[in-house]
Amino acid sequence: MKAMLAVLTAVVVAFALAPASAQQGVTDTEIVLGCSNSFSGPLAFTGEQATRFGVDLYFKVVNDAGGIHGRKVRTIYYDDGYKPQEAVANTKKLVEQDRVFAIIAPQGTPPVVATLEYLEQNKVPLLFPFQGSPVTRGRKYVFSGMTLYDRQSKMMIDYLAGPRKYKKFATLYQDDEYGKAFLTAFEKDLARLGLKMAAAESVKRGVTDVSAQMAKLQAAKPEVLFIVLTPGPGAQALKERQKIGWTDVVMVSSGPLTDERYLALAGDAAEGVEGLSLWPDPVASDLPAMRLYREQMQKYFPKNEPNRYSISGYFAAMLFTEGAKRAGKNLTRDSLIAALEGIRGFESGLLPPVSIGADHETQKQGFWVRVERGKFKQLTDWLRSD
Amino acid sequence: MTTAALIHVVVSGLATGSIYALMAISLVIIYNATRTLNFAQGEMLMISTFVGWAVYQRLKLPLLGVMLVAVVGAALLAWAIERAIIRHAISATHFDVLIITLGLSLMLRSAAGVAWTHDDFPFPSFFGDRPMAVGPVRLAPVSLGIIGASLALMAALWALFTRTRLGRAMRAVAQNQRAARLMGISVERVYSASWVLAAVVGAIAGVLIAPVIFLSSKMGIVVINGFIAAVLGGFGSMPGAVVGGMLLGVIENLAPLYLPSSIKHSVPFIVLIAILLLRPGGVVGRVARRKV
Repeated sequence: MKAMLAVLTAVVVAFALAPASAQQGVTDTEIVLGCSNSFSGPLAFTGEQATRFGVDLYFKVVNDAGGIHGRKVRTIYYDDGYKPQEAVANTKKLVEQDRVFAIIAPQGTPPVVATLEYLEQNKVPLLFPFQGSPVTRGRKYVFSGMTLYDRQSKMMIDYLAGPRKYKKFATLYQDDEYGKAFLTAFEKDLARLGLKMAAAESVKRGVTDVSAQMAKLQAAKPEVLFIVLTPGPGAQALKERQKIGWTDVVMVSSGPLTDERYLALAGDAAEGVEGLSLWPDPVASDLPAMRLYREQMQKYFPKNEPNRYSISGYFAAMLFTEGAKRAGKNLTRDSLIAALEGIRGFESGLLPPVSIGADHETQKQGFWVRVERGKFKQLTDWLRSD
Repeated sequence: MTTAALIHVVVSGLATGSIYALMAISLVIIYNATRTLNFAQGEMLMISTFVGWAVYQRLKLPLLGVMLVAVVGAALLAWAIERAIIRHAISATHFDVLIITLGLSLMLRSAAGVAWTHDDFPFPSFFGDRPMAVGPVRLAPVSLGIIGASLALMAALWALFTRTRLGRAMRAVAQNQRAARLMGISVERVYSASWVLAAVVGAIAGVLIAPVIFLSSKMGIVVINGFIAAVLGGFGSMPGAVVGGMLLGVIENLAPLYLPSSIKHSVPFIVLIAILLLRPGGVVGRVARRKV
């Protein structure tokens, strides 16, 4: 009995002393990162692209070049199928069993929000989640990824009501946190200019027909119709507009929607559609950094097409690498956060120079595009939201 | 709201309703023969549409060829599933078979994700999206085409059930299995035939609806509305499945015109509950009365 007690005490003491010296998830040769993401369910394509073909693509390049201060980056992913409760379980598993250093690029507002408190309490950095609801703002251990929806809304309304002089707006939005966050932001920005939303109709995920919503919106006679949906229903809305021959309206897609897949689905119904683009065209852009991304994709994943979801994960990994390099050989969670906060004018070659301040927002911009002959044509320079 | 807009919304609802009706018919075909529900019906539709599309991508077949490939693929898949899995569960309860098909649906969806990713894909259509003006009303050829093709398929099914030996055998098995067996009908062959027939109907529905809702691993979800349509019409009745499907499509589209649009997806269930309470036999069915 006494012997057992002694062993137990020794074990407890050993555990209590050990972690003080080393940072969880960082060894001399390795940094372990991970996230819970959608590998099944409605956002499976997005999730897989952002992680396995985005984050991992960049880290493969970094690892093959010797890693970050001699440490290779290893990633672990679990599937939550866009379910918040699974995201929480996965995230706990990552932190407590896999002992990751930080969470990188998880996806979707409901799953990400469900893990916020847990990660803050355990002081685990949550880096660049692929979601735009402003709920992530103002937290010590969270750095936002996508341009937050209220910033997107501000750029869209300022541009359309300003230089374009439109006054009557309507919205077709997805009936969830994504759609509602946008709608609230639109209404606030319109009110600032003394305008009101003329009509707003919602669409549920997995819809088969949007004709009723479009008929109601048409009856309100807006000049601009915002579409805040995912690619499938978004393309359905464009086709529906073609079916009813509704031509005297400008269709404008939200930032997350403005992508090539949505264009491909809508076919010639997409002609003339405008939108806020958060990234340069991953397929056609001539930016040297975008070419490099395509070459790396060709080298490591020759079967995978370049797209905006993989580029967002790629960019997240790039920012992490920059932060971890600046934090130096002694990489800890706090040193990483201090290093990220110190980034000023970082040239990614993909977006305008990135400065991360106390607000922890890594992206604040977008530019205006219009679909001409099946391609996005850039109409403005980068629009700013601050 | 103008009358022209209203007509467009109703026609659009009839088009989706036709697909619900075809889904309901495939559920009813299997139910009538085997007394079980096939929850994998939607995923079988999805897989066969994907197979047609994959062959189309490789060989650039005309669309009729795509439909043929999808139909043959569906028939083979259904035959294989019935022979390899369902047939062995012949002594199991209906509830067990239901769970088996539920598991099958999950497996098929994951398999589609592995083979073709979970992305959405555009699908070629027999019919255009550009509206035709009929007086002041604008009608989309794609809606009219779906309705027309579905009605033609329903007529063909009706002929099959009333005019052919196989159809009569299937109806006999539906009425009384033991009597049918005593009359020399191979009940096992009817099981196989009903699975194959249901899958073929599903594959045609899949090729018709894929240009509208796009091809993706998620498209099998349409089976839920097919199930509601079948119950609306009185489960087991073919004409009921048609009426139920059309009704559901139209109600689903009209409700958000007059109510907040967020209610659209609860409408089918509200209607379902109302029908079950008021007319448990379905809109066209009769309440079964048993002598005691």
